[in-house]
Amino acid sequence: MAFLEIDGLKKRFGNVEILKGINVELEKGGFLVLVGPSGCGKSTLLNTIAGLEQITEGEIRVDGRAINDLHPSKRDIAMVFQSYALYPNMTVAGNIAFGMEMRGVPAAERQAAIDKVAKVLQIGHLLNRKPSQLSGGQRQRVAMGRALVRDPKLFLFDEPLSNLDAKLRVDMRIEIKRLHATTGTTIVYVTHDQIEAMTLATKIAVMRDGEVQQFGTPAEIYNNPTNIFVADFMGSPAMNLIPAKIDGNGNGLSVVLDREARQPIVLPIPGAPTGLAAFKDKSVIFGVRPEALTDPEGAERNGSNIATADCHIEVVEPAGSDTFAVTNLGGKGVVARLRADARIQPGTSTPLAFNLSKAVFFDPATEKRIL
Amino acid sequence: MSAVASPARQAASGVRARTLNRIVIYGLLALFAIFYLMPLFVMLVTSFKTMDEIQNGNMLSLPHAPTFAPWIKAWSEVCSGLTCVGMKGYFWNSIKMVVPAVLISTLLGALNGYVLTKWRFRGHTLVFAMMLFACFIPFQSVLLPMATILGSLGRFGVTLQNATGFNFGLGNSTVNLVFVHVVYGLGFTTLFFRNYYEAFPTELVKAAQVDGASFFQIFRRIMLPNSLPIIVVTVIYQFTNIWNDFLFASAYAGSGDVMPMTVALNNVVNTSTGVVEYNVNMAAAMIAALPTLIVYVVAGRYFVRGLMAGAVKG
Repeated sequence: MAFLEIDGLKKRFGNVEILKGINVELEKGGFLVLVGPSGCGKSTLLNTIAGLEQITEGEIRVDGRAINDLHPSKRDIAMVFQSYALYPNMTVAGNIAFGMEMRGVPAAERQAAIDKVAKVLQIGHLLNRKPSQLSGGQRQRVAMGRALVRDPKLFLFDEPLSNLDAKLRVDMRIEIKRLHATTGTTIVYVTHDQIEAMTLATKIAVMRDGEVQQFGTPAEIYNNPTNIFVADFMGSPAMNLIPAKIDGNGNGLSVVLDREARQPIVLPIPGAPTGLAAFKDKSVIFGVRPEALTDPEGAERNGSNIATADCHIEVVEPAGSDTFAVTNLGGKGVVARLRADARIQPGTSTPLAFNLSKAVFFDPATEKRIL
Repeated sequence: MSAVASPARQAASGVRARTLNRIVIYGLLALFAIFYLMPLFVMLVTSFKTMDEIQNGNMLSLPHAPTFAPWIKAWSEVCSGLTCVGMKGYFWNSIKMVVPAVLISTLLGALNGYVLTKWRFRGHTLVFAMMLFACFIPFQSVLLPMATILGSLGRFGVTLQNATGFNFGLGNSTVNLVFVHVVYGLGFTTLFFRNYYEAFPTELVKAAQVDGASFFQIFRRIMLPNSLPIIVVTVIYQFTNIWNDFLFASAYAGSGDVMPMTVALNNVVNTSTGVVEYNVNMAAAMIAALPTLIVYVVAGRYFVRGLMAGAVKG
């Protein structure tokens, strides 16, 4: 039995169904990230776990106990809000201790708990300041301190890093990951940033329009997306989704990629998914991540399934750590990720290696993965 | 002559135009300020003059021999109708009415605003619209219905008096006025606080809920301590309105020892025996105006700031 179980959860506002039957579970000490574009219901889902929103149907269980009818304060959870929601009229110490004060914890115990948390988060020197006298990163720490001091069963984070600048966001991300590793707490974390999702999670639920599109480990989500939405949403730069045709030539299938004013590229697919045979002579969406489309020298040497084809390079983007090259296949701009020192010129043709063991195929009608 | 003016000359003419604008703007403002402050000035200087000086001198001139006698007379001797005990009793009547009325209406307005923004219920917009409508009801139209209600409360007070030996203040004129002003002020105070709390981050309330704070704990520990600007605005607004009110005061407490300041001042000025003592009248009027003036001076900058806050996010 999992530690956190969300079972057939539905949420309606009037006639509008915001959450359409969510089923998710998380083991103790796990880190679940709810990710999706804005308006997908991820924050609403988090609020229902917190008890700030009532659910219409279904059940939420923590440690085997149904909590969906309990008041937020009785659920043994702590929450970190996007705006940090620090009480502006109280000092940092007052903010951290407020929950304990409301529960009637004696002052001496409160002080001990504050000191302990302040030590973990290194905010001891800030305890007597007001939130308005803190920087963004310090506020973020205090908000986490307020959650940590409670020692709850479940931590909820609602886009905690989205108000920080880019560099601080990376620092705090590492901080959160370290905190999770050292304290072993169970966390549910909402974000729209797929990099945060990939780096932090032990489990990811990709959501759209109130439904979980895919639920799995980061590697599963990244390498085996179940549909075009998940494939497109996760990964930066996004996966190349190229309209293509499947061709059969006797002993195997191959994928045909159209090119402007040139011969189409034909790539044989040994070990093609079994479902692909039904799409012979039909259109599919051919999905290949930028890192699976690279210069032949940079391709995995022991990759079993690498095919090379000349491509016309339209744009070159040197990004420092990598060089991105844009070519045109199937009428779409396709991004290839090359080594930083790859010698490549825009307007020329250059061989690119397709790692076909990493390629995926989707049905253009249903947008689902062809397995 | 070149077609393009040199940057230096352009800058110079820009500075001249700006200076001229400034002179016009500040000149007009000064003129209006003088216009508004003139009556106050006349009242103030007249209240320190002797009657001789008033009858023979210029209205705008400063007093030759300033005297506090008119102020002392206004405070403790002047006649309001037939009783000649000064304004002091009526001043305290007003204080006894204003302080509870302001505190109660402000607190209830804050509570209403808190519920209407953070604990929304079905039909909250309708309730708010009706409370807003209360702001536009003219005083005169509620005079008679309110008199009926106050009469009933008075009779209920008598019943309580007979039953328990204590009337709980029902039927008392000061209590009646407090009640009337609280009811009439609720529309305004609710409007102020609702608009302020509308922009108040709801996440703070949610965080407090997760922290285990109750409805009133959130109100007392989170909402009120962060509402200083709007509390000041509401207090100034309510204090000025209630202190200056004449209609309700004269209708429900228009005679005897219970008169508030405004009614008493009217009686002093309208007393028509002998010479009109302008200096004493002016001093009495100054005494009547002083509390609102002090409130403005002490808290005025919050007033402007608070009104602006409501204007931008409302």
